[in-house]
Amino acid sequence: MSVEITASEGGIPHNKLMISCLIVSIICLYLTYVNTYTTGAYLSFFGGLAAVSALVWGSDTIKHLCSYGLGTGVPSAGMMAFGSGVIAFLIATKFGVYAPIVAIIVAAVVGAILGFCANKITNMNIPVMEISLTELCIVGAVTMMGLVAMLCGSFDFTALVQGSATFFGLEFVDYGVSVIGACVLAAIFMLGGIALQHPFNACLGPNESQDRTLMLTAECGFLSMIPVAVISYVFIDFVSATLALIISVLGWLYTFVKYLELSKRDAYAWLDAKQIREVGGE
Amino acid sequence: MSALGGAAGGAEGFSSPVGLIGGIILLILSFVLAFYFGAMATVWILLGVVIGGVLIGFGVHFVPVGGAPAAMGQAPGIATGVAMLAAGAGLAGLFGGAWAAELGLGLALAGGAIGGALMMAITCMMVNVIYVFGMGIPAASGKVAKDPITGDTFPEYKSQGSEGHGLPFISYVGGVIGGFFAGLGGSLIYLMLLDIYEQTLPDILGASAESIVPLAVSLAGIFAIGMFLVNAVLSAYNITGTIEGPHDPKFRRVPRAMIASAVASAVCGIIAIMIIFVGV
Amino acid sequence: MEELMLGIGITAIAGALATVAGAAEDTESDIGSQGDPNSQVQLAPQMGYIHRIFNKAVSGEPPAYGLWCALGAGLAWALMAMQLNPILALILGSALAVFVQGVYCVTAYLGRTASLAKFEQPVYIDILKSVTTVTMAHAFIAIFTTVTMCHLMNTALGHPFPLPLLGLVWGIALGAAGSATGNPFYGKERQYQNYDFGAGTPISASGDIVRYAEAGDRSSLDNGWFTSKLGGPASGVCFGLIVFLELWRTVLFEEWGNGWGAIIAGVILVLIFTAIDRYIEVYARKTFGPYGAPEAVEEETSTEAST
Repeated sequence: MSVEITASEGGIPHNKLMISCLIVSIICLYLTYVNTYTTGAYLSFFGGLAAVSALVWGSDTIKHLCSYGLGTGVPSAGMMAFGSGVIAFLIATKFGVYAPIVAIIVAAVVGAILGFCANKITNMNIPVMEISLTELCIVGAVTMMGLVAMLCGSFDFTALVQGSATFFGLEFVDYGVSVIGACVLAAIFMLGGIALQHPFNACLGPNESQDRTLMLTAECGFLSMIPVAVISYVFIDFVSATLALIISVLGWLYTFVKYLELSKRDAYAWLDAKQIREVGGE
Repeated sequence: MSALGGAAGGAEGFSSPVGLIGGIILLILSFVLAFYFGAMATVWILLGVVIGGVLIGFGVHFVPVGGAPAAMGQAPGIATGVAMLAAGAGLAGLFGGAWAAELGLGLALAGGAIGGALMMAITCMMVNVIYVFGMGIPAASGKVAKDPITGDTFPEYKSQGSEGHGLPFISYVGGVIGGFFAGLGGSLIYLMLLDIYEQTLPDILGASAESIVPLAVSLAGIFAIGMFLVNAVLSAYNITGTIEGPHDPKFRRVPRAMIASAVASAVCGIIAIMIIFVGV
Repeated sequence: MEELMLGIGITAIAGALATVAGAAEDTESDIGSQGDPNSQVQLAPQMGYIHRIFNKAVSGEPPAYGLWCALGAGLAWALMAMQLNPILALILGSALAVFVQGVYCVTAYLGRTASLAKFEQPVYIDILKSVTTVTMAHAFIAIFTTVTMCHLMNTALGHPFPLPLLGLVWGIALGAAGSATGNPFYGKERQYQNYDFGAGTPISASGDIVRYAEAGDRSSLDNGWFTSKLGGPASGVCFGLIVFLELWRTVLFEEWGNGWGAIIAGVILVLIFTAIDRYIEVYARKTFGPYGAPEAVEEETSTEAST
């Protein structure tokens, strides 16, 4: 006897959600690029918003994929998305201003190939497998790019490998103190991976509703932005990092409170220190 | 992770020749790209990455995973998800392999493999300790009547209403072998990528070889982990959730998982290699 | 010689930290009911058994602990890069990672329970208020010890991986080891303690978990006491052995045989554990005996063949 995965019907159509979130993410990513023309990295927080938008799209994709019954759990889809997304993201960073577009194209290709492997070679025969893995790979790449842009103000490869350390007051180049060199990517990888699969995994059940799931996704996205904002103090200036931190905390508080309200709306009962009701079990 | 839902696919064999042919075309394309960008040396690197991916996919099928029923003593195996248990063993092996990287390829690979095998050996032993001393349940397999290695019979040691429980010796050995191959594969991918990054990054960034070592290590490390997870999840999809070990009939699905892993690793590997050669 | 002494000392403390981490990790995942046993907590209302267990559906333990430890390590690294004292950096990094973990726990419980409204499972707010902080406290111990252990490996033992990457690697390994060892103990012995000891749970019993405790309704907090009896220490020993032996065989034997000494030591260790496992398996079969009479398999097949 195992738990059935059920997903709700209705709500915003998946394709509409995908296109709007993709456009929002691209716009936010290019807004962070404006940082190259300003003295401080004030617009870094848009990277985090790009990540939130991509995550919202991704969790709807996971809902569609996992309701077909993969046999494995929901978290593996999130790990797959980021495992393939990080590769697409890293190669895209070498393309300067075109990085977001290149990331989306490369991620789409890699995701489609992985979907092909899963469906045609390992014979999973799930109708939405190829398109879902394509979308998930793009989501993974865009989320990583967004969070990294929030971290260091840009998504360019040279910015990601630059770092400096001070030794008795003298600054010198130390590649180990960069985003890639210190592998802060590892923390972002897992942050995104868990944030992507958590909303559908947590709202699983017969009364799953799309608005609650997507609100939880936004909440997970803003929650991920908070530690990224704290780490960004190392890479960008104090004012920008504080601005990012304030926006992350406010965004998280708002979405968390909204999520509590939606849970209260959907729950059977909202009890405090009451006993178990017997509904006549077997 | 629990084995939620039923399997939509997972039938034996390939769905059609399309899968096999498409996979072979993608493999050839990746190697052609590798040759175009960096000549034979790069082709060897990509070959190493592909072999690493195949070893990971192969190793994941050995690991005995029982999923949610195993957590109740209803099915044999370890009560964790396939992909992540294999990832745990493989990453512990990668840790050992990365540490021995400067001692040479053979030693580092052996270190990675033994690291993974040791982690699975300890974990599987402690699982049996809990089953025997904490729950009073002997090990029994649900898929075979006799252990292929020790000859122990299982039907009378299976409790009523269950599909078996614990880790019979064949499952234990399967777990150790799975950890061995997972650690070996992950370390191979890491060492191949580390090699090419250490050679080429100094020229791209105009820096000395020693100073870019942290970059090369981190890049190779995160790529290795990403590819490890992709291969492990693909194999988990192939297994559709639970497998008792090498004696399980599901183990016969290994060939198609190895091909899928080869294709996925080739594609991801060539992109990981191309990061050096492309860019504005 | 001094280097060897330092190496062995660091190995010993890393092993001790890993043991504490494993124990705390398993206790935390049982208090919150995470991982594979949680599918029973999810299933119970569907079978008509309303309960007051904390339904923490935050993926399985390996990816979850991969996140908390990678995050704790990343934050600790960042704080150290800002010239903060390492110990303070480790504590603050772990604290912020635990805050993230706490939020995930709360949203998981609310999400899963609200989605079970069809089966009339209520959301009990007092469970959130009482259990969440206890889960977070145990998680803090697990994260802090793991990240400290990774920091020691990076700075004192000279491992090439940077701190966040080590946090990711050992976080996933911690989750895998802790969940493999601790899950069956919690799943069978605690959730199904009203069924016979010494046998697996029959499939027909799915969902019939224990919901009433020694006095009143069972709360997940009681699972902490239970886990610390065997499951927690066993998980601690498991992860502690993994870390300690991995470091020990490298630090001590790598100079012998051009590095092959460590490999041979590893192979011997695997063989020793295989022997111990075989002994445990045989001990169980001999001491507990079979559940029923051995089936005469060959006789049946020969009668089938003749008819």
